[in-house]
Amino acid sequence: MTKKYDTPLLDELEKGPFPSFVTEMKKAAAKSEMAADELGLLEKSFRDKVTYWKHGGIVGVRGYGGGVIGRYSQLADQFPGVAHFHTVRVNQPSGLFYTSETMRFFCDLWDRYGSGLTNFHGSTGDIILLGTVTENLEPLATVLSMNGFDLGGSGSAMRTPSCCVGPARCEWSMIDTLDITYDLTQEFQDELHRPQFPYKFKIKTVGCPVDCNASIARADLSIIGTWKGPIAIDQDKVKDFAKKGVNIQEEIVNFCPGKCITWDGNNLAINNSDCLHCMHCIAKLPGALKPTPPFGAVMLIGAKAPFVIGATLSWVIVPFMEMKPPYEEIKTLIRNMWDWWNEYGKNRERIGELIIRRGMREFLEVCGLEPTPEMVREPRNDPFWFWKEEDLEKKPWEEFLK
Amino acid sequence: MEKEELKKAIYKLIEESAGKKKYKQQDVIKHFRQQGLADAQIKEAIRELIDAGDLIYTYFGGSYIELGEKRQGS
Ligand code: HEM
Ligand code: HEM
Ligand code: SF4
Ligand code: SF4
Repeated sequence: MTKKYDTPLLDELEKGPFPSFVTEMKKAAAKSEMAADELGLLEKSFRDKVTYWKHGGIVGVRGYGGGVIGRYSQLADQFPGVAHFHTVRVNQPSGLFYTSETMRFFCDLWDRYGSGLTNFHGSTGDIILLGTVTENLEPLATVLSMNGFDLGGSGSAMRTPSCCVGPARCEWSMIDTLDITYDLTQEFQDELHRPQFPYKFKIKTVGCPVDCNASIARADLSIIGTWKGPIAIDQDKVKDFAKKGVNIQEEIVNFCPGKCITWDGNNLAINNSDCLHCMHCIAKLPGALKPTPPFGAVMLIGAKAPFVIGATLSWVIVPFMEMKPPYEEIKTLIRNMWDWWNEYGKNRERIGELIIRRGMREFLEVCGLEPTPEMVREPRNDPFWFWKEEDLEKKPWEEFLK
Repeated sequence: MEKEELKKAIYKLIEESAGKKKYKQQDVIKHFRQQGLADAQIKEAIRELIDAGDLIYTYFGGSYIELGEKRQGS
């Protein structure tokens, strides 16, 4: 196919040292009418500063409430190739591991059923297949399913859970992020494919507090690997870092939020009982410091980007949970919080917003969690401890007055 | 209530409210819960209606349940 449109504005984005999506789109446009028209439409959008996409509509695969995001062009007459340009989300493998054979499968699949344009991966974590028409959705879902893949989540549902590479490639992983993600994905198929919540719910699992998936900022439920043992110290390796020019006092000791590290130029000591498990010292001195078991995860709730009250990081609800298959404890916790959110959540209200509206105290109660000091998110914030009438009838103070 | 009877009642609810009120899955559950039905039972009936294509999930800022025939002509 010869070049269909001049794209002077998009061409700017091919300059410079970085890979360019424009270059890739041009390659796809040589083979696909859809990709060619998408390129033309995008150039026009850049020129006019208008997106020209219509949102929504009713498209999908039978039995599924999500996975396909309907898109139509407002300029279908001018760019017929993108009259329909639906996006398909496909549940990615945990940790994003593929064989080349699988990658070829996706490329061929999308040349056949869609525009050839893909996005590995969307910010949800899913494989994103960009641009297809309504008639192709059913056959596409069938072919995916025959090859061991399934649609991902969209709408008011549990979104496709995602995780960091974890123990597959990373020495710091303290939990099996891959297995947890796979297990929760299988367990909650219904909640993934049949939107039944007030709004979306994201679960992201990372192996340690370095948090390569930014789960603390992007997940309604963040599962973050952590440790309970003391931090093991190899003094010789610490000294090596010092010799190589790491300023231990400045870069490690002074940055420790627990103020629990001391360094006399020869010996590094950590007061583990004051450690906040932030991973800073360990990540800055790889190999010299190491977390030790018991290993488990800290659970946090309620992150969201544009919140009513501004961007919000998630909030500790369980300081330490063992993470062993079949993960019953976390599954029960998730079910309990969903029931509460489903019952009281308003349309488009995330669980973190419901907690702000109805109170952390009620949330902890429905989840069966005891308030603990780790839940105090900032100084002078309420520790959620309230006595109820029936508690007082038991005269708890007598215990302490003895 | 028998399952088939419940399925008919759910379908009727969605049919009669079409164009007036949009139901989310939890709204349907709350509606029939008042008649003494268990959440799980209502959920199962909805699932079968969706799987058969009688009802579908739609998305307008949030996910709703609507009549299956809406999918045609989209
Ligand atoms: C019957 C007498 C008193 C009552 C009922 C009372 C009640 C309270 C209450 C409800 C708070 C807020 C606690 C919170 O939510 O953080 C508070 C804080 C405080 N009260 Fe009192 N108070 C009394 C007497 C006093 C006296 C005599 C002093 C000082 C001489 C005092 C000093 C303070 C201070 C410094 C705080 C702030 C503490 C903090 O936030 O760390 N109070 N009081
Ligand atoms: C020039 C004199 C003073 C200055 C500049 C000053 C300044 C402050 C500041 C900035 C705070 C923190 C407010 C906050 O948390 O938002 C504070 C809190 C407090 N100050 Fe002062 N202060 C002065 C005198 C005093 C005196 C004379 C007393 C007691 C006799 C006092 C008792 C307190 C208490 C109890 C609090 C905690 C109140 C609370 O947050 O509940 N201050 N002060
Ligand atoms: S979050 Fe931690 S365990 Fe996971 S990849 Fe990053 S450093 Fe490794
Ligand atoms: S993990 Fe963080 S809080 Fe703990 S000792 Fe290291 S820097 Fe300090």
